[in-house]
Amino acid sequence: MTTIVEARNLRKVYMLGKVPVEALRGVNLKVEEGEFLSVLGPSGSGKSTLLNLIGALDKPTEGKIFIEGVDVSTLNDGQLADLRRRIGFVFQFFNLIPRFTARQNVELPMAIAGLGKEERRKRAEELLKVVGLADRMNHKPAELSGGEQQRVAIARALANNPRFLLMDEPTGNIDSKNAMEIIQLVKRLNQEKGITIIMVTHDQRLASEANRTVHMLDGLIVDETVNKP
Amino acid sequence: MKITDIFSYAFSAIKLRKLRAGLTTLGVVIGIAAIVALLSITQGLQVAIATQLQKGFATDTLIVTARSESGFKLLVNDTRTIEEIDGENVTVSLAVILRTGYIKSGGRTSRVSIVGVNFTAYKEIYSSTFSAEEGDIPQNPENNAVVVGKRVSDPWGNGTLFCRTGDNVEIIWTNTTARPLKNETFTGSVVAVLKEVGGFSLGGPSDTSIYIPITQAQTFFGTEECEMIIVRLKNADKATIESTAKAIREAFGGQVTVTSSTAILNVISSVFSTIELFLAGIAAISLLVAGIGIMNIMIVSMMERTREIGILKALGMKNRQVLLIFLSEAAIIGLLGAVIGVGAGWGIAQVTVRIFRGGGSFGGGMRQTNQASLANGITISPVLTPTVLFGAIAFGLIVSLLFGLYPAWRASKLKPVEALRYE
Repeated sequence: MTTIVEARNLRKVYMLGKVPVEALRGVNLKVEEGEFLSVLGPSGSGKSTLLNLIGALDKPTEGKIFIEGVDVSTLNDGQLADLRRRIGFVFQFFNLIPRFTARQNVELPMAIAGLGKEERRKRAEELLKVVGLADRMNHKPAELSGGEQQRVAIARALANNPRFLLMDEPTGNIDSKNAMEIIQLVKRLNQEKGITIIMVTHDQRLASEANRTVHMLDGLIVDETVNKP
Repeated sequence: MKITDIFSYAFSAIKLRKLRAGLTTLGVVIGIAAIVALLSITQGLQVAIATQLQKGFATDTLIVTARSESGFKLLVNDTRTIEEIDGENVTVSLAVILRTGYIKSGGRTSRVSIVGVNFTAYKEIYSSTFSAEEGDIPQNPENNAVVVGKRVSDPWGNGTLFCRTGDNVEIIWTNTTARPLKNETFTGSVVAVLKEVGGFSLGGPSDTSIYIPITQAQTFFGTEECEMIIVRLKNADKATIESTAKAIREAFGGQVTVTSSTAILNVISSVFSTIELFLAGIAAISLLVAGIGIMNIMIVSMMERTREIGILKALGMKNRQVLLIFLSEAAIIGLLGAVIGVGAGWGIAQVTVRIFRGGGSFGGGMRQTNQASLANGITISPVLTPTVLFGAIAFGLIVSLLFGLYPAWRASKLKPVEALRYE
């Protein structure tokens, strides 16, 4: 198995006004290709910060992150943007563009990557079928339920064939029934399509759906469990 | 990201805020419309005046006058001197005697300029304007022959004539050198009425003058002196104009001023260029205000869309692409505003010209009754040159882009994590 993400002694200090806040205090983590990893911890434990660093949205104060063996800290803004195109993000609040339809939202990352109209459209439709929204393609986010919106977000995250998906509390804003469905979808993507998934959650039940769970507390990984299928 | 995708993305963002974008566009429309309206009216005025001047002021002529401060006087037969100086380039030269006097017909008196000229030579120089509408301008006029300008014959422009061809009129001139002052009169016969000349006439025929043969003028005014000599050259080349003018000045020992029509036209056109620049400058200020409006709306839009920018960056959009999206929004507003502005400005120019015409200030029609108007008979048509058209559009676009640059730059520099966290 190849290591797809590696974090070495990550530290991140935020300035909250004039007070420095240590969000990460030396995190070491390896994620293998094809894995479904959950990061579990209470709010303020630094799990979202870790996710942002892995997703190249932010830079660590100390330590290094390697994505497919490349040290992220050596990349400039343009290279970071290129890297992000190979990472699929799914956010707690969906973060869809409200004025676009489901299909247009899924097309967006492909448009950013410079794909042609026809190709985009075809792939967006395929992906929306995969997440079970074949009949909701031309609906805008406001016309979709929370669960449906998150499915659109997952389809969007898959648009550019990412190396891995990063999910930040993907079910945090969805009722439990829909949350379970989302998790089943994510599991299916992992098992059937072999997509590497890193999911942050504070929900023990959801975390246990992953192959492996790392437990975070106060900016450190304090425990690790391998879940039985 | 393809450029068409960037534009359609920018367009979708503008569409979302129609009212706000519309008002910002309106700012650009007003700025551009002001520039276009002012410039097209000024240029129209310039064209109208230049046309008038060229009619009444042939470009291949020189006007020789005595320098007022020297006390030197030009004589009627100085025309011969001028012809001898530069016979090669001078085709005609003509002495003009000018007095202000009165013409009396049927009990009514009207104040006019009395111009003594050689009819044949005058007609040769000003063939298009010294031309009869009624009657004939005789080659060898009787001493009492009088040619009258259009406004002398038809002062109110309504067909109520002051005098017409065939009428006997009394010409009155007050001799101010005699003591006591003495009114000289003679009875003339109107042989022709000129066609309407139009507003301006420098040197050439005018609508408010009457013309008598030069020999008659010499006798009537009791003088051998003349006010000016009009010299016609064989062509209007700059070199010809300059060399002949120089030769004439030298022949009269520097006591005369030689004015070329072309030089006057050039001065007038440079005056107009200055006026144009000034007006365009004023109008440009309103465009500047519009530019600040664009900057304002773009900054607001950038703040409102901070989260959206964060999403775009998380999806792999580069800073440059974010910059381009925001610049495109400014460009769309600027271009739309500029195009509408050019149309609106053109419309405003047309309406303005018509309003003035209706009021008689510029005296569009022949039939207007306001005799006091400054330039009766001038019709202005706004002129929209390609330079103004494309210049205005380009200017609107450039101003929009310049003012859009800062907000776009700020948007492009947003940090993804902070942008995503923005509520």
